[in-house]
Amino acid sequence: MPASRSRRRLAALAASSIAAVALAALAGCTAADPSTSSGAPTEGGTLVYATGDAEPSCLDPHVGGNYPQALIAGQYLESLVSLDESREVVPWLATGWTVSDDGLTWEFTLRDDVSFTDGTPFDAAAVKANIEHLQDPATQSSTGYLAVGKIASVEVVSDTVARLHLTAPDSALLESFAQPWTAIQSPAGIARGMDANCQAPIGTGPFVVEEWVAQDHVSLVRNDDYHGGPADRGRDDAAYLDGIEWRFIPDSASRYAALQAGEVDIIDNAQPDTLAQADEGGALVEIDAPRPGASNRLELNAGQAPFDDERVREAFIRAVDVNDGIDSLFFGTAERSYSALSSVEPLAYADESLFGTDLDAANALLDEAGWTERDADGIRSKDGVPLVLRFPVSTNQSIPAEQSLFEQVQATAKEAGFDVRIEPVDLSSWYGALFANEYELVSAPYTKIGPDVLRILYHSDSITPAPSGYFANLAQLSDPQLDALLTEAASESEPAARAALYEQAQQIILGGFHALPLYDQQNHFLHSAGLQGVRAMPTVSTPWFADAWLAG
Amino acid sequence: MARASRPLRTFALRLGGAVFVLWAVATLTFFAIHLVPGDPAQAILGGPGSQASQEALDRVRADYGLDQPLLAQYAAMLGRLVTGDLGTSYSLKTPVAAVIGGQLVGTLTLALLALVVAWALAIGLALWSTAPGRTARAVSGAVELTAAALPHFWLATVLIAVFSTGLGWLPPVANGAASGLVLPVITLAVPLAGFLAQLMREHLLDALEQPFTVSALARGETGAGIRLRHALRHAAIPAVHLSGWAVGYLISGAVVVETIFARPGLGRTLLRATELRDVPVVMGVVLVVAVVYVVLTVVTDVVAGVADPRLRRGGSTA
Repeated sequence: MPASRSRRRLAALAASSIAAVALAALAGCTAADPSTSSGAPTEGGTLVYATGDAEPSCLDPHVGGNYPQALIAGQYLESLVSLDESREVVPWLATGWTVSDDGLTWEFTLRDDVSFTDGTPFDAAAVKANIEHLQDPATQSSTGYLAVGKIASVEVVSDTVARLHLTAPDSALLESFAQPWTAIQSPAGIARGMDANCQAPIGTGPFVVEEWVAQDHVSLVRNDDYHGGPADRGRDDAAYLDGIEWRFIPDSASRYAALQAGEVDIIDNAQPDTLAQADEGGALVEIDAPRPGASNRLELNAGQAPFDDERVREAFIRAVDVNDGIDSLFFGTAERSYSALSSVEPLAYADESLFGTDLDAANALLDEAGWTERDADGIRSKDGVPLVLRFPVSTNQSIPAEQSLFEQVQATAKEAGFDVRIEPVDLSSWYGALFANEYELVSAPYTKIGPDVLRILYHSDSITPAPSGYFANLAQLSDPQLDALLTEAASESEPAARAALYEQAQQIILGGFHALPLYDQQNHFLHSAGLQGVRAMPTVSTPWFADAWLAG
Repeated sequence: MARASRPLRTFALRLGGAVFVLWAVATLTFFAIHLVPGDPAQAILGGPGSQASQEALDRVRADYGLDQPLLAQYAAMLGRLVTGDLGTSYSLKTPVAAVIGGQLVGTLTLALLALVVAWALAIGLALWSTAPGRTARAVSGAVELTAAALPHFWLATVLIAVFSTGLGWLPPVANGAASGLVLPVITLAVPLAGFLAQLMREHLLDALEQPFTVSALARGETGAGIRLRHALRHAAIPAVHLSGWAVGYLISGAVVVETIFARPGLGRTLLRATELRDVPVVMGVVLVVAVVYVVLTVVTDVVAGVADPRLRRGGSTA
C-alpha cells in the first residue's frame, strides 16, 4: 500500500480522535450513574423524543411517503400486518388472509373490535377507502402508491372481510402492507381533505396526534382505548406513557447534548462519533436497528461511458478501498456489507470474494479497456477523454462520516487513474443531476420490506428514457435475463423457488460490478437508562413506544 | 407651494424606493432559485426515500404551474405579489403568509434581543478600549477583532459544550423557557458586538480629539463623563445607521443558530424551503426580511436624527 494512502487515513483518524477526546473530556462532568432499575413498569409521564430526520411536511404517510413520516406515523397508525423478530408476517389489524391459486384474489379477515380514535369503526370499507386513497393521484403518494400498484379493486365482502382483486400475482403484497406507508387511517379523517389530514391523521394506534407546532414539536397523547397491537406484542393494554413530545432537533451535536442534559429521553440518527462517546460514558443505551430494503451502496452508472464497459466497472471496484475508512470513520459502528440488500433481509445474498481490492488488477483492466494515457496527475484518458467519474452527493442524505468515506473512495480510485469528482449538493440539485444523467457514481438509500426492492432498483423498467422524472434504477442496469428473474420472483409464492430466483438476480447484479455495497442503512437510537421497554419494529426499524415506560 | 409639498415628495420617493427594493429582491430571488438545478416536483412528492411515479410528477407540475415557461411563472408570481398574495407552500401545502406568520415572532425576538445585547457589549467594549492605558486598548482591540471574526456555528457548538454539557447551567436546545434563549442570543450577539465596537472605537477616538472635548475638560468634566455624555453620541451615529444592516445580518445568522439550537423560526424555514425548492416560501421569507430591512432603515434614520441634531435642521444630509 503506497505511503500517501496510509498517511491520509492516519490524518483523518487523528483529527477525529482528537475531536472525540476533547468532547469526551467536556462530557465527563455529567456522566450519571446508569441505574438500570428493571422493576415493574411505571405508568404515566411524557416521553421526549428528538428526531434528526427532516420534519415531515405532512403527518399522513400516504402523502409522499418517506422515512421521517414512517418514524412518527408508527405511533398513531397501525398496519394490516406486521413482522416478528424472525421477519415472518404476523397479524395486526388483519387477523388472517388467504390467496387464490392464481394469486389474483386475496381475502383479508379483519379485527372486529377496533375503532379509530374519532369513533369511526375499523372495517372492510375502511380498508377499501385507504387503498383507494393511496391510488388516487391527488394524494401525491409515491411509496405507498408503488406498494398497492397491482391492486385493481377492493371488494367489501362483509364488515370483517375485504377481498382484493389484483392485476398480477404479487408475492410482495404482505410485505407491502407491513410498511407504515400503507397504514390504515380513518376514512372520515381522510374525507376532511389533505390539509386537515396532514396536520393530524386519525388512526387506531397507541397514541393520538394532539398538536403540531411547526419546526418545534408534535404532541402525541395516549389512546386510552388502545388494545391489541401486532401479534408479537405480548401485551394487550394501552400505553404506559401519558404521551410523547416529538421534537425536531436537526443538529446532531445539539441532539446529543440535549440527551445528555436530560432535556430529551431518546434521540434518533445518533452519529458514529456520538455512539463511540456514549459507549465510553456508559450512561446511555443504544439501539442498533438497520433499515430493511437495500444496503447503502455506490451505484455505477452503466448507461453511458465509461461504466458501460464492465472492465472499467471492475477496475473501479478493485481500486477502491473502503474497509479501513468504514472502520475509522464510523468508529466500528457500521459493518461492511457485500450485498445489495440490507443484512436484515433473510434473502440477502452476499459475496465478499467479488469485492477484493487489487490495484495491479485495476490498472491491468483499465489498460485493457484502452484507458492507457496518463496525465501529470496520473489521471487516465482514452482518445483524449479523461477518466472522470462525476459523483453528486446529497448532503441531506449522506452523513458527515459517509461524506468523508467518499473522499477516501476518491483518493484510492485516483491511484488507478480515476478522477472522481465529488459534488456535494442539496437534495433538489441532486435529483437534478440524476435526471440530467450527469453522474457516473451515486449513493441513494431505499427502504422497503423484502427483496422486491431489487425490482424497483434494478429492473430496466425503472430507467426512464426521457430526462423528465426520477428513476430508481440509478445503476441503469438493463439486462433482459435479470428483468425476467425479478418479474418472476415478484409473482412466485413458493418460498424456496422465490429465494432461488432472488439469489440468481443478486448474483447478476453483484457479478456484473454494478454496485459497490458499503454497509446497511444506519439507524442508531440512543436513550437514557430510565427509558425502558422500547423496541425497534422489525418492519422498517421505527421505534415502538406502546410498551415503553420512564423509570425513576 | 413647492415648499408645502416637500415632505410629501420625500415620502413618495421613500415609498417608491422601498417598492423598487422589494421588486428587485423578488426578481433576484426568483431567478436565483431557478438557476440552481433541481426539481421542485420531486421535493414536493416526499424527498429522500420516496420515489414518485411519472403520473404523480406530471400532476404536481400541472397543479403548481411548474410546466409553464419560466417567464410566465415569473409574471404569475408578480401578479400574486401585487395583490398581496404570497401563494401556497409547495411542501407544506399551507398559505405562505401563515407559514411565515407562525415563525416571524420567534426570529424577530431572537434578532432584536441579540441586537440589544450586541449594543450593550459594543458600548462597553468601545468605552473600555478608549479608556486611558495601553493594556485596555490592546486587549479590547484583540477581543473586538476576535469576536467579529467568530463563525456562528463554532461559537454555538462551544457554548453548548461549555454551558450545557460541561457546566449544566443552560439547556442546549430551545425549551420554551427564557433560559433557552440565552445561548442563541449570545451566539448571535458576540460577533456583531465585536463589529459594532470596532466601528464605534474609531469614531470615539476621533471625537475625543475634537475641540469640544478640550473645552469640556476645561469645564472640569472627568474623562469617563466626556466619553459617556459627549463622545459616545458622535461615535454611535455610524453604528446606529448600521443597525438596519445588522438586523439583516442577524436574520441570516438565524439560519445557523435556529438549526443548532432547534429553535423554530424564519431562518430554519428559509433553509428548508431552499433545500426543497419551495419557491413561494423562499420568496415570502426574503420579502418579509426585505420589508423589515426597509422599515428599520427608516427607523434608524429617525434615531440618527435624534442623536445628531444637524440631520434634523439642515434637512440635507449630504
